[in-house]
Amino acid sequence: MEELLTANSATSLYWLGRYLERVEATLMEVSIAYDNIIDVDANAGVNLYKNFDIDLKYSGALNFLNEALLGEHNSNLKNIVVQTRENAIISRTQLGEDSFGEIIELHKLFKNVSYATSSIDYKFIDIALSLISEIWGSLEKRQQRKQSNYFIILGKLVEEVDFHLRLNKDKQSALIIMDEIDTIVEILANGAETKEYKDIDKFEILDSVNKKIDLIIID
Amino acid sequence: MLDKSNDIQSKFWEIFSKQDRKKVEEFKTYMDKFAINFNLYQDGNFIEQSLPFDIIPRIISKQEFSKMEKGLIQRIIALNLFLEDLYTDAKIVKAGIVPEEFVLEAKGYLKEFAGFSPSKKIRTHINGIDLVKDTKNDEWVILEDNLRVPSGASYPLSIRDTYRKIYPDFFEQLKIEPIKQYPSYIADSMNYVNCGGINVVLTPGRFNSAYYEHSYLAEKIGAQLVRANELCVIDKKLYFKNYNGKKIRVGSVYRRLDDDFLDPTFFNPESLIGVPGIIDAYLSGNVAIMNAIGNGVADDKGIYYFVPKMIKYYLNEEPILQNAPTYLPYFKEDMEYIFNNIHKLVIKDVAEAGGYGVSFGHSMSKVQLEDMKTIIKANPRRFIAQELIEFYDEKCYLNNELKQRKADFRAYVVMGEDVKVWQCGLTRYALEAGNYLVNSSQGGGFKDTWVME
Repeated sequence: MEELLTANSATSLYWLGRYLERVEATLMEVSIAYDNIIDVDANAGVNLYKNFDIDLKYSGALNFLNEALLGEHNSNLKNIVVQTRENAIISRTQLGEDSFGEIIELHKLFKNVSYATSSIDYKFIDIALSLISEIWGSLEKRQQRKQSNYFIILGKLVEEVDFHLRLNKDKQSALIIMDEIDTIVEILANGAETKEYKDIDKFEILDSVNKKIDLIIID
Repeated sequence: MLDKSNDIQSKFWEIFSKQDRKKVEEFKTYMDKFAINFNLYQDGNFIEQSLPFDIIPRIISKQEFSKMEKGLIQRIIALNLFLEDLYTDAKIVKAGIVPEEFVLEAKGYLKEFAGFSPSKKIRTHINGIDLVKDTKNDEWVILEDNLRVPSGASYPLSIRDTYRKIYPDFFEQLKIEPIKQYPSYIADSMNYVNCGGINVVLTPGRFNSAYYEHSYLAEKIGAQLVRANELCVIDKKLYFKNYNGKKIRVGSVYRRLDDDFLDPTFFNPESLIGVPGIIDAYLSGNVAIMNAIGNGVADDKGIYYFVPKMIKYYLNEEPILQNAPTYLPYFKEDMEYIFNNIHKLVIKDVAEAGGYGVSFGHSMSKVQLEDMKTIIKANPRRFIAQELIEFYDEKCYLNNELKQRKADFRAYVVMGEDVKVWQCGLTRYALEAGNYLVNSSQGGGFKDTWVME
């Protein structure tokens, strides 16, 4: 039987998937840049954040972690985790206790570190990444290919494409993810048209993704 | 509460003494994961507050609870009959048991609904009855009835779940009544009155003080959690709007908002959290709304005075549970008593709830007492006066110490095909020693309640 879902819940699940993926992908990129800053390229962090249109300033590797994760800019991860939690609260009935509880824990982790007097270190990234893996695991466990789960996966994939294109990684991988997105779109919105993406540029890809979301959720 | 006659209390403390106290922190961390918040607006700002809780449960013996259970079932049956009668034939008014002006002046009485009978004639689907245990006679006493939208059941459900995970010993070694069935009581009641369609829980939204509870219960009941704009009315039928544009008929609504906000086309036109046309659907018999619209009249503290009389009138039985001794200034002899004893009475505004509008005579100055008399004289229907009940303290484990705090008890009674009393309830305790106000909105905390053999 088709799972019932309000547009509000569907949107929240979609954004939950996006924000969680954004936090995870950012943490991974930050940890690579952190390693490079130590003794390979002091500007690795500057270059990374240019992709997000942020002019990041820092003095050394540890300070980079603080500025990157908690600095006053649009990619402040504490704020993104707050948004993740908000969407989890709204769509709680679809999430299950484990994944919901772990998202609350992730929020607490970021909240505590933002109040802490000591700086963020690599251990924090490790803990946060493990927790996010647990969240994906709990969500996966609950998945019985219901509509609610597809929305989370859809958000995750869309964010992956977005992140991929922002970091100017190879377009081919983004196109592979787009195929996965199309499969989900076809499930969620019967009869939605899918498209070949071979020669289109990254902006067209993102535009096409957004149009697909509009096809699915009718408010 | 801990006395030699109470073996079950000592069994608890025996196991408690063997527990690793460090687990208390683990308990708190686990509870945090539920994000049990009580949301407030202060100075225009939205504040999420964690609801304080205590790990020491209130323990009630099965025998004691059984007596309470019988009394609660009796009371709810009588109150349901009262509401059905009041909105149809009003025989109880005609018989002079409840004065007409008491009904007409009750804030929650909605004359527009006179003549309407809801699905299966059930009006009191989910009820929260507040009680305390009087130290004078060791009996449970009813303080108030909540027959509109009583909240709080999700808190003991959450704390019990945590308890079982962190301290399984208690549940292995003691005979504690299980409580997980509460959501199924609600689901059964919703299914029983359902007028054809799915069940939904209607929430004002994310920023409501009890949103945590709405989402928690919706999931456990297996109903859709919806905001008003996710429902629509077509041809006097209520529909759920699915994300893909499909509309699915709704047969039963567990609403978590007050009557005034339910339908902007019928009640408050400025309500943004109501569903336009839902009252039309309700009055056409196409959807059940629980609890029924207009129940507020029975929550009126003035009407509370008459509940023992209702039990005698409708059931021809003596009340099993007693009200707190109550005086109505509306009656001349009661007014006289109140004025002579105001310094030791509790004065309550009949239309208030949540611990608001309560004044304790013993803590008021002479001037304040005189002022109160003037106010009562000017509007006697607005107030009741009650004897101050000295109710038992409960032991609370606060800041790593055992402390005594005043605690009340909210029992949950669900009416469907039959009437069921949940073998648990919400025990609320005051945060400060000596304080009698235990409501969450007054800073009170909560604890689990174990019904034990």
